[in-house]
Amino acid sequence: MLLTLLIVITAYLLNLVLPWWSIAIPGLILGYQFNPKSGAAFGWGFLALFLLWGGQALYIHFANDGILSTRIAEMLGVGSPYLVILITGILGGLVSGLATLTGSLAAHKSITIKN
Amino acid sequence: MRLIKPLTSLIVLIVLTVSLNTKFGSVPPLGKFFDPQAGFWANAEISIPESGEIVLEGFEGNASVYFDERRVPHIFAGNEYDLYFAQGYVVARDRLFQLEIQTYDAAGRLSENLGSRTLNRDLATRRRGMPYGAEKALEVMKADPKTWASINAYADGVNAFISSLEPKDYPVEYKILDFSPEEWTPIKSAHLMKNMTRTLAGGNSDDRTSNTIKYFGSDFVEKFFTVKPELNDPIIPPSRKWDFERIPVQKPDSLFVPASAVELGEFEKPEGVGSNNWAVSGSKTESGYPILANDPHLSLTLPSIWYEMQLNAPGINTYGVTLQGAPGVVIGFNEKVAWGVTNVAADVMDWYEIKFKAASKKEYWHDGNWKPTTMRIEEVKVRGEETILDTVIYTHHGPVTEVRSRINEEREPAYHALKWIAHIPSNEIRTFYELNRAENYDDYVESLKHLAGPAQNFVFASSEGDIALWVTGKFPNKWEHQGRTVSDGTDPLYDWQGWIPFEHNPHIKNPERGFVSSANQESAAPDYPYYLDDDFAPFERGRRINDRLAEMKEVTAKDMQDLQLDNFSYHASTILPELLEWMDEDSLGANEKEALELLKEWNYMNDAELVAPSLFRRWWGNFYASIFNDEYRSTKAPLRYPSRDRVKEVLKNEPDFEFIDNINTEKKETLEERALYSFRATIKGMTENYGEPGDKWKWGYYQNNDIDHISFVPGMGAQNVFSSGSSESVNATRGGFGPSWRMVVELGPEVKGWGVYPGGASGNPGSPNYDSMLESWRTGKLYELKFMNAPPKSFCINWNCPR
Repeated sequence: MLLTLLIVITAYLLNLVLPWWSIAIPGLILGYQFNPKSGAAFGWGFLALFLLWGGQALYIHFANDGILSTRIAEMLGVGSPYLVILITGILGGLVSGLATLTGSLAAHKSITIKN
Repeated sequence: MRLIKPLTSLIVLIVLTVSLNTKFGSVPPLGKFFDPQAGFWANAEISIPESGEIVLEGFEGNASVYFDERRVPHIFAGNEYDLYFAQGYVVARDRLFQLEIQTYDAAGRLSENLGSRTLNRDLATRRRGMPYGAEKALEVMKADPKTWASINAYADGVNAFISSLEPKDYPVEYKILDFSPEEWTPIKSAHLMKNMTRTLAGGNSDDRTSNTIKYFGSDFVEKFFTVKPELNDPIIPPSRKWDFERIPVQKPDSLFVPASAVELGEFEKPEGVGSNNWAVSGSKTESGYPILANDPHLSLTLPSIWYEMQLNAPGINTYGVTLQGAPGVVIGFNEKVAWGVTNVAADVMDWYEIKFKAASKKEYWHDGNWKPTTMRIEEVKVRGEETILDTVIYTHHGPVTEVRSRINEEREPAYHALKWIAHIPSNEIRTFYELNRAENYDDYVESLKHLAGPAQNFVFASSEGDIALWVTGKFPNKWEHQGRTVSDGTDPLYDWQGWIPFEHNPHIKNPERGFVSSANQESAAPDYPYYLDDDFAPFERGRRINDRLAEMKEVTAKDMQDLQLDNFSYHASTILPELLEWMDEDSLGANEKEALELLKEWNYMNDAELVAPSLFRRWWGNFYASIFNDEYRSTKAPLRYPSRDRVKEVLKNEPDFEFIDNINTEKKETLEERALYSFRATIKGMTENYGEPGDKWKWGYYQNNDIDHISFVPGMGAQNVFSSGSSESVNATRGGFGPSWRMVVELGPEVKGWGVYPGGASGNPGSPNYDSMLESWRTGKLYELKFMNAPPKSFCINWNCPR
């Protein structure tokens, strides 16, 4: 859980100054540091960006009265602006989940060498 | 070997990230696009922009921009440079994508950013000589210090805005299509003007008329295209006498016949590009001062083609609508005068069949000599693909296009050169520069001399009490019907032999009847000594406006707004009674009888709530097709269709007109049978498309008024806007075309204006101001325009807040 929280905070800060792909960096580093099991690594990493991007999208959706998200939903042919929010969360989640997994796998490897 | 797992995972991560950062086909880079910080989410407007100060490089003095409650900017500047700088800046801020995409289109550069799907359009743009015309216009603009200064100041303003942007600030369309804004240069202002010429004076039916003469004979062409309907009511009324001799031109002995059946279909004029304007003199108004009205009909898009604005600096205080890319106000008013435009359908686009000496096309035959051609190499960049080099041959007429036969593929291609007003160097921006500052009738006339094309009917009214209308533009001095068919490129008698002198253009000032008006109909009565075209808009809108204005007294600005919304159909009123009379009712079923009743009771108003207008439109379409389609479809050659106003006259006067018969059947059909069958087909078709009679049959839905996004991005337009009106009504709203700006101005010591356009100030689909005026436009409400003499003393972003 702490892993997720730290990823959320660092990814948010990095994304303020760097392009979108910077959301992969916290997962890589923190996944290595925290070294959870593979499944958990992906899960916590995914959750972090799913919450961050999905949450940001949800906030913007309400603050904008859904004007833009409704148009984007129509453009993408997905029917509902909530699906647009969901897609946003999933895209961020996938990148972060995979990054965290990569970080943790690297850590597994280094531990093996020590033994 | 234990490296395999983390490495695999890393590779998957990299592949995923790179994929999400790459554009596939028309799918934007998804990671970039969905990023809430910098993707499309960043374009969702979540607060009204605060008042603030922006420091910009290049500014000479200072300018203040006040946004009113409709977010219309009011610019108050210390000098002209700052004024146009601020205009460019503000327009870029609200309409950057529109500003750029319009000029990319006009320059034949769409494919640079959009890829090969727009390549054909780009090539057609180049081959038509659009960039060539813009380059020539730029030379004239450069030579005029005032124009040159204003378009450079405008460019500096646009660039100041562009350079302040980070990728996350780009309008959402850039993110969808994945490209970046580029530097704005003065030639883009010239491209914009060529774009307007293409929209308004970029159609002709030369080849169709040639084919029609060949296929149906010159009597047919005489009957439908030369003879004018009796109900024609020209812009300059017949009472106007011409006190000059025309400049003579020499005519060839016989009319040239081109290699038959060529394919130039894309140049056909769409109906809907039309407009209304009029001015009523003080003798007919309640206030005693003139009132002017204008509603240009164009393709309706989001964002709207127009942007509303007030421009104030020493020597200028004007309000109206602007075209994105041109400094100044195009349609509007100032403290002394008001002006508006409608299109003139003069024939300023002609095709010449060229005879080349050899396949190399280095020389062509003209006036008894082989003359050298020139070559222009068009470099079309295509995103993700190789750049295409397209060689366009130029003769003295203009650029040459290869045309292949539609009916005989074996035939060698013909070569047609295009002579077009858009290639004639001119400086239209200067016209608006002067009009914005005009104080009286003389200033107005002087300003019009700079305009070559697209030709416009400029209506005018002044606080001094003058009203006027000049048919404005550069018109070739042609012999009768010159250029309505494909011309002989070898014979100098087919060349444009000179111009109609400006003073000879049709015009009228303060006529007896107390009003002037135009609705794209014939410019002047048959005694006008020059030939302009044989294909002006049908009489319907023009005659209705003149009927109404003639009977109105004590006119108010509200009356003029109501007239702009008039839905009367002269079209229906001059044929429906006959159609009903021709009908044999006895054979009709229940549904059909009910529909017929609706038509019998109809008051000829194209109101959204009614079903009768839908029935009439469809019936007339079917009826017209039943008369002509059997003959017209008996060849693959594109032919010219007669206009409805003349067809109605012929059918009413000549019940034996041979086209009434269906050439594909043994028996001889009558008008009565045609009316009955086409009516039954109408009800059947309506039921098949829209189900049993109900709401979907209502005209407001049936006319299918889609206001699409300027680049047709799905979801960014407004679909099927329930609307009244029709192309033959003064309120000419019809399926995505229509009044793109409605304006009424009352002159006097204090000038008052009203206006509305179907859209909003902001070009951002994520802003409430993107389409905030659409509903008012749809329901026919005009806003009172806030025209100020001086900057407001105390101001906050919402106009209604306490002072």
